[in-house]
Amino acid sequence: MTKIAWRSIWRSKLRSSVVIFAIASGLLGGLFSSAWMNGMAMQRVNNTFAFEIGHVQLHNPGFSENTDVKKTILDTRKKILSLSNTDGIKAATERIRLSGMAATANKNMGVNIVGVEPDTEKKVFELYQRIDSASGGFFENDKKNAIVISKALAKELNAKLKSKIVLTFQDFNGEITGAAFKVVGIYKTDNSPWDKLHVFVKNEDLRRVCEVPADQSHEIVLLLDDYEQAAFMAQELQGQYPDVKIEDWAEISPYLSLMSGYMDTMMGLFMVIILGALGFGIVNTMLMVVLERTRELGMLMAIGMTKKRIFIMIMLETIFLALIGAFIGEILSMLSIAHFGTVGIDLSSVAEGMEAVGYGAITYPMLEGYRYIQITILVILTGILASVYPALKALKLHPAEAIRST
Amino acid sequence: MSIHVNKLTKTYHETEIPVHAVNGIDLSFEKGEFAAIVGPSGCGKTTLMNMIGGLDVPTSGNVVVDGSVMSELSSNKLIDFRLRNIGFVFQAYNLIPVLSAKENVEFIMQLQNWNKKEMENRTLALLESVGLGEKINSKPNQLSGGQQQRVAVARALASKPKFILADEPTANLDSIATNQLLEIMEKLNREENMTFIFATHDQRVMDKAKRVITLDDGKVISDVLKNQ
Repeated sequence: MTKIAWRSIWRSKLRSSVVIFAIASGLLGGLFSSAWMNGMAMQRVNNTFAFEIGHVQLHNPGFSENTDVKKTILDTRKKILSLSNTDGIKAATERIRLSGMAATANKNMGVNIVGVEPDTEKKVFELYQRIDSASGGFFENDKKNAIVISKALAKELNAKLKSKIVLTFQDFNGEITGAAFKVVGIYKTDNSPWDKLHVFVKNEDLRRVCEVPADQSHEIVLLLDDYEQAAFMAQELQGQYPDVKIEDWAEISPYLSLMSGYMDTMMGLFMVIILGALGFGIVNTMLMVVLERTRELGMLMAIGMTKKRIFIMIMLETIFLALIGAFIGEILSMLSIAHFGTVGIDLSSVAEGMEAVGYGAITYPMLEGYRYIQITILVILTGILASVYPALKALKLHPAEAIRST
Repeated sequence: MSIHVNKLTKTYHETEIPVHAVNGIDLSFEKGEFAAIVGPSGCGKTTLMNMIGGLDVPTSGNVVVDGSVMSELSSNKLIDFRLRNIGFVFQAYNLIPVLSAKENVEFIMQLQNWNKKEMENRTLALLESVGLGEKINSKPNQLSGGQQQRVAVARALASKPKFILADEPTANLDSIATNQLLEIMEKLNREENMTFIFATHDQRVMDKAKRVITLDDGKVISDVLKNQ
């Protein structure tokens, strides 16, 4: 029966090839576009981790509500030391966070001022890698009142390296204060709105001007070995540090969590549409097969092939077709995803628009291995479902009439 | 082995006027018969053969094979009954085009779950007996009409049936192929006492048949047992 089913596929090579091509190209389209969307989403997620929020953040509970400058975390050095030695935590850093104004002679803009410890900051965040050699560095020397701003903000403020920028903000005592900073680095991430809003200075400079006591900060950020463990880690740490509020990345940036779920839904929807279309194509083809082989099916029934066996034979034929198409489609998908996953898809022509919504101009398609297995199973299921109707049609044949058919 | 056809009728109602394709036929066949059912086109030969073979259901009457009333068998039991008791040879050969001659013959034994070695031995012996020992790996499209029909005979014999129904087996064959086929079937009938029932309008088959049953308008108008 398996032999007949397999060989029957190749009776009409053209028709079978068309079906196989349809399945393969459908899968290629579906998997590649899923990989592209997934790659974009993962890039967005990873960039957010690497430049913006890390995996887990600790704050004074009051700070999260209204970013009150006085709501600091106490004993930060001790906490950082302890956290850095915790299993599953790769690195920890502390930050002072203020809202203020950045001004040059030309213009001023509202910004989030981030005070950092350059050494530990580099272990948690990768922003320093987004400063090219012509654009300075990330606090590479001990110069006082240095500031790192984004390319987008520099453009807005008409500033460049070594330009002076005056930051104005509220100090620890609630007084408005300010200081002049010299631009030592200009960074650029793939998220231009975020870039415009964030400037970086050293904690020691900010403490001096802002009078934030030593050993206190507004934020401790953790980089974990596995970002998927963030929720678990946050929960574990909350028990150990009841005086601070600990949030994982999904709580800090619900958009990321939503996007992750949204991508899964979109990929599911894509595959349902593609597999649905394939299913109808297969039904059509197999109905033609049944119609063309009416006499043969009648003969098989006449000589003693049970309905169950005829049903299975039609089903096997369909599944073989689907599997060949799926195999070719998956190989093509793997190759194309691997290729573009390495060289990237360059959308530089629309880079500005992409960056305005937080996506890079070059995207790298990627798809997890288990997705291919999922798709194979779904294609087999589609093949089985699509074969039911033609197989039932075959069973309704009357052997005596079928044998007489031309 | 005995086949009893009792008051068999088959009426079609495709138009307002009922058509009695088979109209109250009574017949009996015993083991070793070499019988031809003959008559003009539309006389009911194929309809009668289909009902004897359990491929069609009579409007009234019944066919009893070795005590089993075929119309009383369930669909699955009827398929199994055909598989184990009846060999079919069709006018258009009806081999499975994607299988070789050997695989076509083996197929019916696979349906009966034969042991592989026995199956192979019997297949080769059967193909030898119909003169196709050299063609076992040929696909149907590589065989002539006569050769295909001989494979069909080998396939019909493969399951060791009680009788073989051959509906116009020579209709598409030239005289040489017809003579070869008839010689093979005669030999099987003579040496193995295999029962053959033909539906035919081929004079050459009628000449070889030991019994000729003539139908007209769905009725038996003569049933002649020839002296051998």
